[in-house]
Amino acid sequence: MSLPRASPRHSERRLDIDALAVSCANRLESCLDEQGKSLTPVPLPLLSVEHEAEGVVTLWVDVPRSMAISYSPGQYYMCWNPYDAEGGMKRRDYNSEKPYSVGDIKVDIDRAKMGFTVKDLGRQSGELTRMARGDWLALRGPFGTTFPTPAAGDRLLLVSGGIGSTPMHMAAKDARNRLGDEIEIIAVMGFKNAAEAHFIERMELVCDQLHITTDDGSMGTAGFPTAILPELLAEATATRLYTCGPELMMKAVLKMAVKAGVDSYAAMERYLPCSMAFCGLCMVGDKLTCVEGPVMEGEWLLAQDDFGAAHAH
Amino acid sequence: MVDLSVSAPGLDMTNPLMLASGIQGANAASLHRVAASGAGGMVSKSIGPEPREMYPGPVCVEAATNVVLNAMGLPNPGVEAFAEMIESETFSKPLLVSIFGGDAEEFAAVAGRLVDAGAESLELNLSCPHAKPGSRSLIIGQQPELITDVVSTVASAVDVPIYAKLTPNTSAITEEAGAAVQSGAHGLSLINTVSALEVDPFVGRPIIGNLMCGLSGPAVRPIAQRKLAEVSLAMRRDEIDTVPILGMGGITNGLDVARFIMLGATAVQVGTALAHKDVAAFDEILADLESMMVETGYSNLGQMQGVALDAMEGIN
Repeated sequence: MSLPRASPRHSERRLDIDALAVSCANRLESCLDEQGKSLTPVPLPLLSVEHEAEGVVTLWVDVPRSMAISYSPGQYYMCWNPYDAEGGMKRRDYNSEKPYSVGDIKVDIDRAKMGFTVKDLGRQSGELTRMARGDWLALRGPFGTTFPTPAAGDRLLLVSGGIGSTPMHMAAKDARNRLGDEIEIIAVMGFKNAAEAHFIERMELVCDQLHITTDDGSMGTAGFPTAILPELLAEATATRLYTCGPELMMKAVLKMAVKAGVDSYAAMERYLPCSMAFCGLCMVGDKLTCVEGPVMEGEWLLAQDDFGAAHAH
Repeated sequence: MVDLSVSAPGLDMTNPLMLASGIQGANAASLHRVAASGAGGMVSKSIGPEPREMYPGPVCVEAATNVVLNAMGLPNPGVEAFAEMIESETFSKPLLVSIFGGDAEEFAAVAGRLVDAGAESLELNLSCPHAKPGSRSLIIGQQPELITDVVSTVASAVDVPIYAKLTPNTSAITEEAGAAVQSGAHGLSLINTVSALEVDPFVGRPIIGNLMCGLSGPAVRPIAQRKLAEVSLAMRRDEIDTVPILGMGGITNGLDVARFIMLGATAVQVGTALAHKDVAAFDEILADLESMMVETGYSNLGQMQGVALDAMEGIN
């Protein structure tokens, strides 16, 4: 028996993927509740897959304009690939639904595109990096808490590790769009090595200063973002710090921010299968990451025993 | 004012709202979180002999307004880890521990370990497949002889109140209810999810990772009420010995709680409502129930219990 080949890319029926994308975006709009969320996964055909770095891609889909405009940095979507990159669904663990934050958004007069930037870190994310134009990506959401909206005169410090770049980019872009020159944005992006480095151009467009660190020194300063953070915190008074990356990195970053008296927030990542306060498996302290996160307050996080500790998946 | 307290075997609660099994409740942190809310008590996630992983996603979606579908696959930390947890934790509200197994012996072993660890009451999740070869197409709860085997084996293995949780996916729920009570169940819980399936026409496949799923939420409430009434009326006719019933299925507000109590439930469980309001749902439902009782002149739940059954019997 042959596997199902139902992705538009693999379909024997000749499909106009651009037309299909528009009709699927319209369908998604009709599924939004009064809070602008879809609680059911709505499949969209991938319009393009942009190579960002080794093992890192951005998956672009057409979305309703209202959804693109109302997106707030920090929010995540549950992203599901109903078929694997071969168009089948034999390897079930490769077809799953996981939370991803948005990497970039493009809004035109009549249509909008959302880009989900994914790094190959496991079976499902790895499968997503192998997808191509015409494959299905279903979205459910958006869910979760958002970074506080910065104010004019703020000095915003953004610290990311690896694929934690995505919410930091959206936070920077949103702050720049809202406040123009009335905000100073300083970003530190940490990567394992130069091959993994991504989003540099995107961040340069919206940040006043961009500092790169790599674990192996193959690009920027050698070491973790925490190697240069104390200087940046001491140089001038930051008013807010947002961070996203590996939990141990965020813990070290938040400690430095709290010590410097800077308001800090982290976008948390935990094993998060349901997004609806159902399964209770994404807890940090007494909070559910799915609905009381992913953005959580720095001082509160530092007070939780299980923050930065090994946790069950 | 209004007395909302409830007393059932192993469950002395300040109010009739319990967290339903399967929602949160798999670890100490989430149980403490619910205990700190307005809930009167909690039912844990179903605990089995071994740790189990979640099915691939999507595991839970709202396919249309008030139509919630899930297939999680009984993920749980396993009896040993859960027993160690309850040995070291004290919860501020009664905890009914839900368990499952592949056959009567597994159920009894899980029950024994948890009761040794301090579990004060058990709910038997009978909506799991039987491990016996050839019987996998049916779940234990669809076969009265297997219910009898499981409930009587657990009842003789442990000395705490046992609630049998029944599936609505049978031809006559009174048969399964009767089998459970006759075999020693001290109470019943009903209903579990209604078996369901949803397909996305654009992608041409089911939208739940496990393919098959269970339906919950307001869409199932009238089904639950019908099953509850059928069992309650059979108890009134003495076809089944009278035991307390924990009612559940799509309860989202105080009026729904009153409906279940009026159809004979002693207390209720709330699950899917947490998808929209998280644990704040308990306080809202309670406030709603209290004001409805004040307006309609009920001062305690006992006065309300079964009044809709009286009406149904009166008409007959």
